[in-house]
Amino acid sequence: MERRFNHRLEQQSAPAFFVRGPSPLARLAFFSALSLALMAADSRLEYLTSVRQSLQGMLHPLQLLANAPSRLYRDTTEYFSTHQYLLSENRTLKQTALKQSVDLQKLNALELENNNLRQLLQINKSIVETSVAAEIMHVGRDLFTKKIIVNRGATHNIVAGEAVVDATGVIGQVTRIYPLSSEVTLITDKSLAIPIQVERNGLRAIAFGHGRDNTLDLPYLPTNVDIQHGDKLVTSGIDGVYPAGLAVATVSQIEVTPDSPFARIICVPTGRVENHKQVLLVSIPAKVEPVETEIISPIKQEAKVKRSENTPIKLEVVKPEVAKPEIAKPAAIKAEPEKIQLPSESKPALVAPPNNTSKPHAAE
Amino acid sequence: MPPSKLKSIYLSLIIAFVFLLLPWSGFALKIRPDFILLVIIFWLIRAPNLCNVGTAWFTGLFVDLATGGIFGQYALAYTITAFFAVTYQRRLVLFNHTQQLFYVFLLLMISQIVLLIIKTFSGADALGWSYFLPSILGVLLWRVAVIFGLNTGGRSRGT
Repeated sequence: MERRFNHRLEQQSAPAFFVRGPSPLARLAFFSALSLALMAADSRLEYLTSVRQSLQGMLHPLQLLANAPSRLYRDTTEYFSTHQYLLSENRTLKQTALKQSVDLQKLNALELENNNLRQLLQINKSIVETSVAAEIMHVGRDLFTKKIIVNRGATHNIVAGEAVVDATGVIGQVTRIYPLSSEVTLITDKSLAIPIQVERNGLRAIAFGHGRDNTLDLPYLPTNVDIQHGDKLVTSGIDGVYPAGLAVATVSQIEVTPDSPFARIICVPTGRVENHKQVLLVSIPAKVEPVETEIISPIKQEAKVKRSENTPIKLEVVKPEVAKPEIAKPAAIKAEPEKIQLPSESKPALVAPPNNTSKPHAAE
Repeated sequence: MPPSKLKSIYLSLIIAFVFLLLPWSGFALKIRPDFILLVIIFWLIRAPNLCNVGTAWFTGLFVDLATGGIFGQYALAYTITAFFAVTYQRRLVLFNHTQQLFYVFLLLMISQIVLLIIKTFSGADALGWSYFLPSILGVLLWRVAVIFGLNTGGRSRGT
């Protein structure tokens, strides 16, 4: 037995007793401490963003290698798709293109009319979003979070915070940027909230991801709230991240229990991450975020004023030819000149006060 | 220190890493075994002088990078698992295949439990019992590899 043991150790080139270096316990202590320090540095202090980015760039070739089999499979199946299938697909695509071009013509006319009306009313032009098409590289590997990786990154001028939509609705938000790819947190992730509006009655609320299954929650709404089964939820555009009016989810279940003051509302997202490969990264121009604009105050004093008093949907694009600040200056500032001397560093309120339309604001 | 073995360690780790990077989704993602940890455990048993707790930690960092989580989660889980593997390495080579299998299962569970604890601290929801399916799949994979002739130092082979 003893001999066999020794023999086996030699066979495995296991070391003698004294050349093992530091004891496993010492190594455990050292590396555990190192991991804990890393975790703290990454999650709380966020020192490691650049390190992560450069290392991710190193991993990219490996990632492409791993994606190669599925890509090859997709390409070959595409190549061998039948003549009949292609013909029918071509036909339906032509039909939808025709329909959409008609819609587009109407849209152009409406946009023009809308801008003219806005000018008449002396309110700012509605914003124009830019978008970049991207392809989903893979679904996130962490079971605890709902994330996907898309193939557009810092080199394609993607910035964190952009909204991600697919053909059917909003699916998430860009949360982390790598050189050639970026990480998108889905709206079903527990940590993501999205301001929505019920399409039917304009009621505003905030939808939270549920985390475990692919649903959204509408918490903190009273039991008598005017939401029905099948209501469509669209983005309200209040946050300055998501463009207004994109489909988000459909209400699938409303539970009212007598012991809770809030209704339990569960919604199913409209966007289908599983079915689509292409997504659109939509960014609202950076200037749209409440910016400091110089305003000549009534007391002939130059002061910087935050523009957050504007209605959020009508945020101003600061261009030289667009409306002058004096025109768009809210009446509230004129009435109170002291308020103009706000410190310019102070952040504007995240949720701007409601505009003067007659929509109910039960969720405020 | 045979350089050929060192090379094969790195090569096997890289291959395991590519397996991790494959576009898993849906149910396959839920039951995906931890290939990298299996490779690390194998080398911890077979070549403890070349592959040690430090190797496990460093590989864990790369897994953290690939999963996009906070740096250090997988590193910590792999470190603790590697510690247990190294501590009992001398005993492990005397086990027969079934005993070894049970031991590997325990190691895989330790890594998953450590990860679960870290995630729970950072506010994640519990995923239910199906969370531990990858460990079972990993052990099956180990068994299959042994059947196909991988020498894990078990006793039943040619004694």
